[in-house]
Amino acid sequence: MGPPLRPNQCRSRLGAPPSLPAVCGRVARNPGLQVGMAAFAATAGRLLGLRAAGTEGRLLRLRGAGLQWALLQPASATGDAAQRRQVAHFTFQPDPEPQEYGQTQKMNLFQAITSALDNSLAKDPTAVIFGEDVAFGGVFRCTVGLRDKYGKDRVFNTPLCEQGIVGFGIGIAVTGATAIAEIQFADYIFPAFDQIVNEAAKYRYRSGDLFNCGSLTIRAPWGCVGHGALYHSQSPEAFFAHCPGIKVVVPRSPFQAKGLLLSCIEDKNPCIFFEPKILYRAAVEQVPVEPYHIPLSQAEVIQEGSDVTLVAWGTQVHVMREVASMAQEKLGVSCEVIDLKTILPWDMDTVCKSVIKTGRLLISHEAPLTGGFASEISSTVQEECFLNLEAPISRVCGYDTPFPHIFEPFYIPDKWKCYDALRKMINY
Amino acid sequence: MRKMLAAVSRVLSGVAQKPASRVLVASRNFANDATFEIKKCDLHRLEEGPPVTTVLTREDGLKYYRMMQTVRRMELKADQLYKQKIIRGFCHLCDGQEACCVGLEAGINPTDHLITAYRAHGFTFTRGLSVREILAELTGRRGGCAKGKGGSMHMYAKNFYGGNGIVGAQVPLGAGIALACKYNGKDEVCLTLYGDGAANQGQIFEAYNMAALWKLPCIFICENNRYGMGTSVERAAASTDYYKRGDFIPGLRVDGMDILCVREATRFAAAYCRSGKGPILMELQTYRYHGHSMSDPGVSYRTREEIQEVRSKSDPIMLLKDRMVNSNLASVEELKEIDVEVRGANQWIKFKSIS
Repeated sequence: MGPPLRPNQCRSRLGAPPSLPAVCGRVARNPGLQVGMAAFAATAGRLLGLRAAGTEGRLLRLRGAGLQWALLQPASATGDAAQRRQVAHFTFQPDPEPQEYGQTQKMNLFQAITSALDNSLAKDPTAVIFGEDVAFGGVFRCTVGLRDKYGKDRVFNTPLCEQGIVGFGIGIAVTGATAIAEIQFADYIFPAFDQIVNEAAKYRYRSGDLFNCGSLTIRAPWGCVGHGALYHSQSPEAFFAHCPGIKVVVPRSPFQAKGLLLSCIEDKNPCIFFEPKILYRAAVEQVPVEPYHIPLSQAEVIQEGSDVTLVAWGTQVHVMREVASMAQEKLGVSCEVIDLKTILPWDMDTVCKSVIKTGRLLISHEAPLTGGFASEISSTVQEECFLNLEAPISRVCGYDTPFPHIFEPFYIPDKWKCYDALRKMINY
Repeated sequence: MRKMLAAVSRVLSGVAQKPASRVLVASRNFANDATFEIKKCDLHRLEEGPPVTTVLTREDGLKYYRMMQTVRRMELKADQLYKQKIIRGFCHLCDGQEACCVGLEAGINPTDHLITAYRAHGFTFTRGLSVREILAELTGRRGGCAKGKGGSMHMYAKNFYGGNGIVGAQVPLGAGIALACKYNGKDEVCLTLYGDGAANQGQIFEAYNMAALWKLPCIFICENNRYGMGTSVERAAASTDYYKRGDFIPGLRVDGMDILCVREATRFAAAYCRSGKGPILMELQTYRYHGHSMSDPGVSYRTREEIQEVRSKSDPIMLLKDRMVNSNLASVEELKEIDVEVRGANQWIKFKSIS
C-alpha cells in the first residue's frame, strides 16, 4: 500500500481509495514523475483537491509541464473554505463582446436566461412561465423578478408533477399561447417523457397540421455540477434525440443561451432547452440587453484547425477548448472545435465539412457512452465521410453507469481523457 | 479522519449498547409503566380508529427517548459536517420528525418492510443501521451502508428499501413490496412513505388503485411536514386532507409529533393490513426544523416564529420527556444523563480539535 503517511503530507483520506494517499505521498516526495503518471497523478491531485475540503490543510497546487497535483501543507487552525472548494474540471472561456446587437451588460447564465424570458414576456402577451418554484425566482434564480413584473397569472408555480406540467404545457400551446415550462432538474424529466414523446412530438403530425404545440418550450437544468450525484447531474439529451418532432438545444454560454432560448421560444416546434447548471454562476459574459436570435440547427466552429475535429456541446465545449490548446502546445496539433448547440436536428453539414478537412473526429459528452448522442454523430459521419477518415472516430464520454456520487471526478470525460484519446487518434 | 469518524460514531452508537437499567440514580423508585391519553385520530372510511389511551413502559420510554435523541444528535452532526464540507452533495435532515421514524418502528416488527423518500437518515437508524454506517455513507466512505456510492439519499438496510431521490417514485415500489408480502404469506406489511409534496404525483394514485384493487398489505404514510421544499401545502394541494386522498382507501390523520400517537396508529394500521382488509393510509402531521435540504435556510417561506413555536410546544423529544417525568417513569436527571451520553460532551471536544 506504500509507506505510511506523515501528518504533514496527504492528510485527506476522504473517499479516496487506499492507494491514492500513498501515491500522493510518493508524488509529493518525487516531483520528477514521468508523463505516464500524469493522468493518474492529475486525477489524484484533483481528487485530493476535492476531498481536501474539510481537512485542515491548505491546498497548494503545483504546476509543472502541464501536470497538476495537490500537496497539502501542515494544518493551520482554521482552513480557508474557498481554497478547499473543489476544482472544476473546466475553465469557462467567455466569447468576445458581441457588437451587432446593441448595448450589452455583464451577465451570468441564469441572468441571461432571465433576460431572455423577460424579453419574451414583454413581446408576447400570451407567454406564460410555469414550473416548480418559479414564482419566487426558481431554485437557480432563472425567473427572479418576473412574477412581480408580469403578474401572477403569467408566472406561476405548479405542484410537484412533471407529467402534469408538460401535459398542461402542451394544452396551453395547442390553443396558441406561448408556454414556457420549467422542469426543476433534467433528471426529473422522465415522468414527462411520455407527454413529450407521445404527445408533444406527434401532435402536428397526427392531426395533419390542424393542431400543433409548437409554442411549447421546456427548460431544464442539465449536466454535472460537481456534487449532484445520481439525480442532479444527468444529461438526457440522447433520450430525446431519438424522437422526431421535437428540438433539443444545449447552449455553452450566457450569450448563446439567451439567443438560443429566444429562438426556441419563437420556433414553431416544441423545444427542449437544457441549461448547463454548472455554468449558471461560473459563466459570465457580456450579453446584449435587447432580444436577439441565434439560429437553431447551426453548429458553430469556434476555433479553426486542420488536424482534428472536436465536437461537443454545453459545458464540454470549454473542456474541448482546453484540450485543443493542450494539443497545440504539446503535440503541435491544430484542432477545430465545434459547438454543436442543437442536438436535434443537428447540423450534419458543418461537422462533415470539418471532418472532410481534418480527417479525424473526437466527440465528447458527459452522458454515458452507449447510446449517447456521440454514437449518432459517429455513425452519420462515417457514412458521409468514410474515405476522408484517417482514424476511427473517437468518443470520450461518461461510463455506462449511473452518475456517481463520490466518483464523479473519475466519471466525467475530463480534458486528460480527451487529450489521451486525441493522441491515440493522431498516432493511429 | 478515521479517528474523527470513529470518535463520532463511538459516541453516538455506543450508547445504544448500554442497558437502560445501568443508569444509576440513587434511591428512586420509578413506576414500571404509565397510561397516557393520546389524541384521537381523524378517520376516513373507518368506523373506529386507534385507541385513545396507551400504556408506556419505563423500558420502552427510555428506549424511545434514547433513539429519538440519537437521531436528533445525528442530524445536527450531519448539519455541522455538511457546513464543514465533509459531507457533500445533498443532505435532507429530519430533525423535528423523530417521532415519526421511532414511532413507526415501535408499531411494526423488524420483519416488516419500509420504503421512504430522501429524508431517510432517521429511518435508516431505526431500521437497524448504526450511526457509524450512516455517517460513513454520508461522507462517501466505503464503510457506509451503500459503500459510499449512494450518499444521503440512498441508504438501504435489511427490510429497508431506501432512500429514493425521485419524488413519489418509491410509492409504486412500496405497493410492489406489499404484493410480495401478500404472495409470500408471512403476515408482513410494507410501510410506504412519501411527503406532502409527493402526494400530488400521479404515480401515487396509480399505486393506491392497485393496492386497493388487489388488497395489498400496504400502509401508505404521508409525512406531512407542511412544506414541499418551499411550497406550503395550501399552495400545492387542492385538498390538504392527505389522509382522505386515497379516496376508496380508509385513512387516519395522526399527530406526528407525539410518538405514542404514532405508535398506536401504526399498530392499528398494521393490524388492519395483516387482517387482509387491504391498504390503509396514514397522514402524520409533523414538522421539520431544518430547511428542505442543507442549501435551504428554511426561513424564506416560513417565519422563525413558527419554527420556534413548534420547537417550544410540540417538540417530540420534549413531549416524551415531559410525559415520562410527570408520571414518574424517569427522572429529569436520568434523561439528562441519556442526553449527555448521546451527545458525549468530552468526546465532542476531542472531535473539534481534530477537525
